[in-house]
Amino acid sequence: MKRRLFLAGTIAAASGLAGCARVTNALNESPFHQALTAVERLNHALIGTRGMAKVYADADVDREFRTNSFATPSNARYADLVREGFRDYKLVVDGEVDRPQALSIAELRAMKQLVQATRHDCVEGWSAIGKFGGVPLGDVLALAQPKAAARYVVFHCFDVSDSGDPYYESLDIVEAAHPQTILALDLNERPIDADHGAPVRLKVPTQLGYKSAKWVVRVELTRDLAGLYGGHGGYWEDNGYEWYAGI
Amino acid sequence: MSRAEKVYRHSLSTRLTHWLAALSLVILFMSGLQIFNAAPFLDASDKTDPARRVLEIGAVQNGARENGFVNILGLHVRTTGVLGYTDDGMGGQSERAFPGWITMPGYQSLADGRRWHLFFAWILVIAGLWYFVAGAISGKFRKLVISRADLSKLVPMQLYYLKLRKEPPPYGEYNPLQKMAYTVVIFVFAPLIVISGLALSPGVDAIAGPLTSVLGGRQFARLWHFVLTFSLLGFTVVHLTMVFTQGAYNNVRSMVTGWYRPGTHEVSA
Repeated sequence: MKRRLFLAGTIAAASGLAGCARVTNALNESPFHQALTAVERLNHALIGTRGMAKVYADADVDREFRTNSFATPSNARYADLVREGFRDYKLVVDGEVDRPQALSIAELRAMKQLVQATRHDCVEGWSAIGKFGGVPLGDVLALAQPKAAARYVVFHCFDVSDSGDPYYESLDIVEAAHPQTILALDLNERPIDADHGAPVRLKVPTQLGYKSAKWVVRVELTRDLAGLYGGHGGYWEDNGYEWYAGI
Repeated sequence: MSRAEKVYRHSLSTRLTHWLAALSLVILFMSGLQIFNAAPFLDASDKTDPARRVLEIGAVQNGARENGFVNILGLHVRTTGVLGYTDDGMGGQSERAFPGWITMPGYQSLADGRRWHLFFAWILVIAGLWYFVAGAISGKFRKLVISRADLSKLVPMQLYYLKLRKEPPPYGEYNPLQKMAYTVVIFVFAPLIVISGLALSPGVDAIAGPLTSVLGGRQFARLWHFVLTFSLLGFTVVHLTMVFTQGAYNNVRSMVTGWYRPGTHEVSA
């Protein structure tokens, strides 16, 4: 009898608990979810991209920098580029600009470099410190001379998700010129390797890690984000994450 | 014993902000556990550092089975079915730290957990600011915040609760233990949990770096945030116990209508 009661109690408790998830799942899929997303604008307006990310000493740097992204691109074009040491790679800067650019690695390296160890804060919750070196994004944008109508800077990448969706990211054009935002060529004082986004990755130390797109091949200036892929300005943004990733 | 007349104890502001805070704390707790699940470990450091790991919840493969575990301060506890390998929020079991029945939403979704968390964080902050302004204007904090004179009454009050003493020590509207609990929760824990949450954000860190540094860095801030969460949960358990054992009707009514009947042997929560 006691055993049966215990069993009944356990089943009741388990189904009650399963009911909790049913309720929270239903709430999550209710129209109220729309209201939740409204605070993103408030957070963006209040926090935005102000101030400077902390710069770390060499001793703090993670020599084995964690990789946590899509698989390293395996398509023929990328494989060829890796084999040839990115000799024929060009970073294209186009869209709403007066002077479209196609910059080789040598040309990017000839520009003023910024090397800084910053903390990479993943949306999942972990952090790692990497010493990233490269060209301030603002300098590359200045070369291309954005038109007055340009509002966003979109980063197109070589990598694709398992289901074939390309990775891309975007920044507000004003925030993109933040002095610490760089198109990184080096990680921990060596050219970025294939797993870490070679030959060029974005590094935005004032926002969460998913903004720092790897394997960047094209920087496109646009008037809006609606026409691109899912329309939310980035691969993870199209999958429910905030476009403003400063929080 | 004669029952005193009811008194108007809680202003409309107090009652509204109490329930707003209660609702947001429940959702913040559940969505916070959802967010925790995405990186189910806590390190007492700035960056992720397994050498300074305080807590980890996970699962290990053991033949065909998966065993959930909790590692806390070096202590390894098997927790299959409860933590680490547990309810996936969709009727099954999977490798996840906190079970689906206690996360918001139930199924694993960091993106949605963040949306709920960041929305209700604002509700809590707005309710908190409203409460602080209203309390400062009305002078209510003078009755609620613990004073030096209350300190010597803490032990007698505890003895009274434990039925080791017949009468409580004399006190005003709130007894000394209540005052201590409310002072710590309202003026220490609540601001700290907001600050430690903000310290996790790279955008905030860039504006107010000392905030993160003072807490020991980003991962340490995450640890503080977690510890404060469970401290508030502990407070809530005691709070609800007191509400329901010390005159449930009187207590709940006072937080709904404002009216409280003092002077009975029931001690308020």
